[in-house]
Amino acid sequence: MNEQLAAALSSVFADADGVEVHGLEPLPGGFSRETFRFDATISGGSNAGALPMILRKDPPPAVAILDTSRQVEHDLLEALRANTNIPVSRSYCAEMNPDVFGERAMIIERMPGNGQTSDLFNDGPDSDQVDDVVRHLCEVMVELHETPVSSIDPNGALADPRGVGIDPSSWDSYMDTTYEYYIGAYPDMEFDPLLLTVLDAFLWLRRNKPRPAPLGVVHGDFNPANFLYADGKVTALIDWENTRIGDPREDLGWMVLMDVLSNTQVMSHPVDEGGFLAYYNKLRGLDITPEELGYFTLFGTANIAVPVNTALARRTRKEQMEFLHLYMIQSSAPALMSFISLLGYPGVPA
Amino acid sequence: MITSPSIDDMLEGVVIALEADILPNLENPKAQASAQMMQSLLQGVRQLLPVYESSLVTEHNSMNEALRNAAAALESIEGPAADRIRERAATLGAAEDLPAPADPAATVAAHRARTEAVRDSLYDLDELQRDGVAAADESLTLLRAMLTPVYLNYMGTFPMQGGMLGRG
Repeated sequence: MNEQLAAALSSVFADADGVEVHGLEPLPGGFSRETFRFDATISGGSNAGALPMILRKDPPPAVAILDTSRQVEHDLLEALRANTNIPVSRSYCAEMNPDVFGERAMIIERMPGNGQTSDLFNDGPDSDQVDDVVRHLCEVMVELHETPVSSIDPNGALADPRGVGIDPSSWDSYMDTTYEYYIGAYPDMEFDPLLLTVLDAFLWLRRNKPRPAPLGVVHGDFNPANFLYADGKVTALIDWENTRIGDPREDLGWMVLMDVLSNTQVMSHPVDEGGFLAYYNKLRGLDITPEELGYFTLFGTANIAVPVNTALARRTRKEQMEFLHLYMIQSSAPALMSFISLLGYPGVPA
Repeated sequence: MITSPSIDDMLEGVVIALEADILPNLENPKAQASAQMMQSLLQGVRQLLPVYESSLVTEHNSMNEALRNAAAALESIEGPAADRIRERAATLGAAEDLPAPADPAATVAAHRARTEAVRDSLYDLDELQRDGVAAADESLTLLRAMLTPVYLNYMGTFPMQGGMLGRG
């Protein structure tokens, strides 16, 4: 693997005399990509020195959760770096030939900061930083949502990255085609019929379309595990593989659910601003209501629930035997509680 | 409760993961032996689970009968030891046999059929609601009210505290 990495980076750093790779080791974390950390020593040329890096590899197709393109992610990261102040990794290259690294892959900068974001919550060692970090996180998200789509996605690669018929030419068509995608995908994602509250949610979403809002670039997996921080600031927003054009309220809604699943409290901060939603509304001059946030908790969750549960269904049918997918059936179970609560099932405790 | 994956599917998954993900990365011989012991124990549990309840019932009923028969064989014997055996036969051994438990596979199949029927009703209720049939609202509420304790029971039993392990 070291030789392949060095060869790929030699193409990136064309003026270098040589590239050496060392310290390659797998990283825990990301549920949908295989990630490895390593250091590259660049000899000569304009980038001479030691550079911390990450190899992000697609998993084998049989166990893949999200079928997204590393080339699209590479282009996105570079567009974000060029057009925004959002802290993201530099992407050095995308290798779309699976023969090189075993699967399609990309090499990105390893950003500084603590990725153990649970340290910010529940009296963790960095809980004194939580307000400042989440305040900055909110500001970063506002910048993403307010950046014109054309500057980040000039070629339309983020319009329908899964190729499932989403039409973001207007808010209405985006919502309508997304409802059809969710409902149509349900039979393949049903690993057990008790998942029916998810179907109930999909149908309810279609019957209760909310007021429109401008579409924008949404991160697509904005959750408590997808940022790094240091000294009260976000040092990187990571895992951009599910980024697409959508309703920005989806990012907020997904964070609500992931706060529950992750046992974190991002949405409760910054406290002096009345929490994440209040601060987001203040920065954007919007009035997203708690009811709308609830709607988009279901809608944003659905976007992840479809591919995740489809992968879990393949595991349950024993088409593949990935242990992580079995564990996710347990760890994602509390999401069903959020579903029945948001749908107002009678008798759900407050 | 979910029926898919089954409890056996989940135990099988752990046994396989120990083999594929853990054992190859263990260098300590004691840790390797512990992992193999875990596999062995889990495999045993997989074999116990499907027959556990029915075996208890069968063995309970056999012991009842044997206690009675053993006492009967001592009918002409006097003394405190024989009296104690007769006493056991007259009390515990005289209890009614336990009923045979339901076939777990049949229970799962029947449960699954009902869950699928509820799910299919959601599609039909959605169609009625979109057609403006007001009674469909009440019908949906009734199904949801039935489901609430189902989900609460599932939530209170299966998930663990602590969030999603391995995600930072």
